[in-house]
Amino acid sequence: MKRSKWIWLVWAVVLLCYLIPYTLLTDVQAWYGSFLFWTVAGLSVIALNLFITKDFEEHSND
Amino acid sequence: MTESLIWWSIAIYLLIAIGIAILSRQGKSESMSGYFLGNRQMNGFVSALSYSATTYSAFMMVGLAGLTYAGGVGALGFEIIYFAGVSLVAIFGPKFWAVGKKFNFVTPSEMLGHRYNSKQVAMAVSIASCVFLIPYAAVQLAGVGYLLQGTTNGAIPFTTGIMLATAIAIFFSYVAGIRSVMWTDSLQAIMMIVASTLVAFLVIQGLGGFAALFDTLATEHPQSLTVPGSGLFSFITFLGLTIPWFFFSLSNPQVSQRLFMPSSLRSMRQMLIGFLVFGFIYTLVSVLWGFSALAAFPSLESADLATPSLLASEFVPPVLGVIVMIGIMAAAVSTIDSIMLTLSSMLARDVYANVKPGASEKRQLLVGKIVIPVIALMALGFAELQLDLIAVLSVAASSGLVAMVPAIIGAFYWKRGTAAGALVSVLGTGAFVLFVYAIGNSFLGLPAGVWGIIVSSVLFVGVSLATQPCQSSADSFIAAIKEELSKKSLKPKESETELPPLLQSKVQ
Repeated sequence: MKRSKWIWLVWAVVLLCYLIPYTLLTDVQAWYGSFLFWTVAGLSVIALNLFITKDFEEHSND
Repeated sequence: MTESLIWWSIAIYLLIAIGIAILSRQGKSESMSGYFLGNRQMNGFVSALSYSATTYSAFMMVGLAGLTYAGGVGALGFEIIYFAGVSLVAIFGPKFWAVGKKFNFVTPSEMLGHRYNSKQVAMAVSIASCVFLIPYAAVQLAGVGYLLQGTTNGAIPFTTGIMLATAIAIFFSYVAGIRSVMWTDSLQAIMMIVASTLVAFLVIQGLGGFAALFDTLATEHPQSLTVPGSGLFSFITFLGLTIPWFFFSLSNPQVSQRLFMPSSLRSMRQMLIGFLVFGFIYTLVSVLWGFSALAAFPSLESADLATPSLLASEFVPPVLGVIVMIGIMAAAVSTIDSIMLTLSSMLARDVYANVKPGASEKRQLLVGKIVIPVIALMALGFAELQLDLIAVLSVAASSGLVAMVPAIIGAFYWKRGTAAGALVSVLGTGAFVLFVYAIGNSFLGLPAGVWGIIVSSVLFVGVSLATQPCQSSADSFIAAIKEELSKKSLKPKESETELPPLLQSKVQ
């Protein structure tokens, strides 16, 4: 699979960022609720971007 | 905070920043791409810091902390969705970069004008950007004015603060165009992240540590840890806030223009990843500021006071308080000077050069340089006047600029997109968003932020299907991307060959 297709995983994370805190986590009044969820979502976005853009390194400079 | 400490700190900051601006000069830039794009030779590290400083305005430290104070953890979700939207750079960045190099584009609006083979599209995008971004810059300035006045107890009056910030922004732009802006941005970004992290650390320590902070929140303000929580972040409001910001990296020309600048795709990758790491830390720090303020000062009159209260508290030593204050001013300057440069390049390249065909690069550059202080003075004037309309335009900026998004996505992925579609979508959506704001930001129960992307998509697709596309410009545009991006560093010989005609015809 082309690396750029993995961007869909980022969009899936975005969708979960809307869904999970507004459904499963509405009653979790602690740091391990929405705070932790969105923090982990942010970290996974960084990891996915590292992976997706790996091919950029191979591109010729000019 | 004594007055002399403040002025000495500003003087030291200016000395270092001016030194960096002057050192960033590299010969005389006489071309548009030299002045506005750093000759497309910017390295990844500086690009990352500058992208961060440009994106995160002064309001991050004040606004996001205040939003967290008022609405709780939903503020974090809002920023994380914006942050995830910057992943659009991983997909669109190389495409922007490739066509920029191939056709020597200086501005995103020039790119759209070329792709849709229409000067009107380029002009409309440029003017719409000015309508939304000059008020946005003005509100940044006003924010700095109030903050400096507030934190220094009037030692730096409102007018002095905004004039100082404007003068610095003009100076940074003039020394070496985008090069001096990007290098001073880098200084500002480093200052901001170090100082704000230190403040968060000290304040949380002062409140008994991370666990104690969240225990206090859980017992005294349990709703702040969930959405919709106290009600500020209802799902509809959350959608209205996040949708326009999700597209920020494409819709705002002062950041999308950055996609033309990296020296290589490797540098672009460093820019993207560097920004994401910076943005992640900065987001968490700002949200923790807001939570700390809520735990320490639960009954502030207004959420905007969360940051000033923290900085004035006993947890933060005065010197650090001054550094953060200058950091906030610097953050506003770094947003404003980038907006000024981008808008002036658009007015010179897409309005002036289209009205006066045949204008030389040198002439365009001269016009751009004349326009820079004009934009700055307009922002300054708006900031002084404090018109309600300006505040509305500024708030509408993120929703209004979403008008460009379908035309940008269509440029790369939909050959059937037409100039008329792009034009109607940009102008129609801009007007519609302003209308929704004028009637109280709710139309059929939905805010302008949600309507913007729906209306612009419907207009772009609908009008495009009813009109004829310019096939040749779409073909050459998309073929150029394929050609440029197929170059691999391991096979430099192949990179110089053209794509075979058969392959070109298959390029979508």
